[in-house]
Amino acid sequence: MFKTKRVIFFLFPGLALLLLFYAGPLLGGIRYSLLDGTFENRFVGLDNYRRLWGNPMFLQGLRNTLELSLIGAPLLWLLSFLMASALSGIHPFGTFARSAVLLPYLAPASAMVLIWQVLFDYGGPLNRLLAALGAERIEWLSSGAMRAPILVMFLWKNLGLCVLVFMAALRSVSPSLYESAELDGITWLRKTFSITLPLILPSAYLVFILSWINAFKIFREVYFISGAYPAESVYTLQHYMNNLYSGLNYQMVTSAAYSFAAIALALFGVLFFLQQRAANELNG
Amino acid sequence: MQASVRRLRGRHVPARLLLSLIAVLLLLPIAVTLLYAFFSPEEIRAYMGTRNRYTADSFMALRLIPETVSLMQFYRVLITDREILRYFINSVLYTAGILAGQLLALPALAYGLSCFRFRGRDALAFGIVLLMVLPFQVTMVPSVLTLRALNLLNTPWAIVLPMLSAPFFAFLLRQYMLGIPAEIIEAAQIDSAGPLKCFLRIVIPMSRPVLGTMAALSFAESWNLVEQPLTYLTSRSDLYPLSVAFGQLTRNMSGIEFAGAALFILPSLFVYLFFQEDIMEGIRVADLR
Repeated sequence: MFKTKRVIFFLFPGLALLLLFYAGPLLGGIRYSLLDGTFENRFVGLDNYRRLWGNPMFLQGLRNTLELSLIGAPLLWLLSFLMASALSGIHPFGTFARSAVLLPYLAPASAMVLIWQVLFDYGGPLNRLLAALGAERIEWLSSGAMRAPILVMFLWKNLGLCVLVFMAALRSVSPSLYESAELDGITWLRKTFSITLPLILPSAYLVFILSWINAFKIFREVYFISGAYPAESVYTLQHYMNNLYSGLNYQMVTSAAYSFAAIALALFGVLFFLQQRAANELNG
Repeated sequence: MQASVRRLRGRHVPARLLLSLIAVLLLLPIAVTLLYAFFSPEEIRAYMGTRNRYTADSFMALRLIPETVSLMQFYRVLITDREILRYFINSVLYTAGILAGQLLALPALAYGLSCFRFRGRDALAFGIVLLMVLPFQVTMVPSVLTLRALNLLNTPWAIVLPMLSAPFFAFLLRQYMLGIPAEIIEAAQIDSAGPLKCFLRIVIPMSRPVLGTMAALSFAESWNLVEQPLTYLTSRSDLYPLSVAFGQLTRNMSGIEFAGAALFILPSLFVYLFFQEDIMEGIRVADLR
């Protein structure tokens, strides 16, 4: 550990950029959300927020974004944990599976859209399978059913990275810890909750953050498939905000951002609290 | 020993099969995209034309193999019909700029926040965590306000500059550096190495895996910019990276899209192969504060 004022030279470029593009205007921008945006720029208090929360498109976008991420992120977390556990149970690791899973994370969304359009077409392979099983075909890409393909694309893209993070953590858990537990014949569930998860808590938390950050980006695929004005069931907050930007409506943009920030931070605060409590319990 | 390994392997056959199946399913969309790139433009256009038929019993044919293997799509993308290529070059420039900038700014920041002790250090680090968990829809707004004030909207800088201090990567690097044993740095201090020497000779070389991880993940992000160009470059669509422009170019299927997609995916493959091992090593989380 160094204790010197020269730390500022290392911190400066990164911190300056963080302050300039994120932290500074994040605080300074609150002003915008309280003005009326006309030539006189009068102070209007919470009027913008009141208008925003009365706007059905904002509410629709907010609800969809929250619903999609609250379904998508935990699902991703759970699936990647299960898959990583399965992969780590196999020695040596399933090398083929391991090298296959990360590639989707790197493939650009726009390059994959064509293939998704084929897969989820009304006459496409998926519906062919449904029909072969005797089920009703579904209009995946044009109706309220579009949420399912969007979630599939989200999971497809992000699964690999999350699996790798879990696997890196599982690899560091010594197998001897399980031996006595196995002698006692405890169940897999019990073993997972009382041995594995506590030991890999930091990584589990990191995967959660990754899923969380990426779940709010469930917009890209919707945008590439349905453009700026998609079906109501997949109209996200990002759509709403992009339309505000093109109208240069900074009052509403900032109000929307702060409203969403409050909700996201409240959610995150609860999770952070739970995670800290779990960590404290483990450390005695 | 050998026997027990074999028994272990034998026991996991169903799990292995299942996992291989999942791996194949995950790779399939990419593999099919690559295969379709070798169809002739006319053939693939005809095939894609069979989409969106809502009649009761017509299905799209299941096609994987072209009638004749053709490189015509690639020829047109690279030689005659250079529109995709133009945006591809935009993407390359953005990605290179972002990665270079991040490598200059972020390891130093993480080093300052992990190997130094000063008042407010942990508060600063927590501030970065808070910025990291804010959804993009929120953090985009302050960036726009600054970019507008600096008159940088609708210039390439609007894409590059805000990305340089990506809080997630600062967090990732710091977590890794916190795990570097203090004794190593103390030993260097006793040999009267200063902070800069320590940084360049010890911390950077030891952080190789996490730097590789950052490069790969940051590549994935920069190569796939969508929200930023749509918001920051509203009146300069000629500056769009391919990740946005491609979506628009494919609306009127001219038959060369799959070769474009294949070329677009290809750099990811290289990045992935190059950094594969680093990623397993580099994502190490020391502690959560």
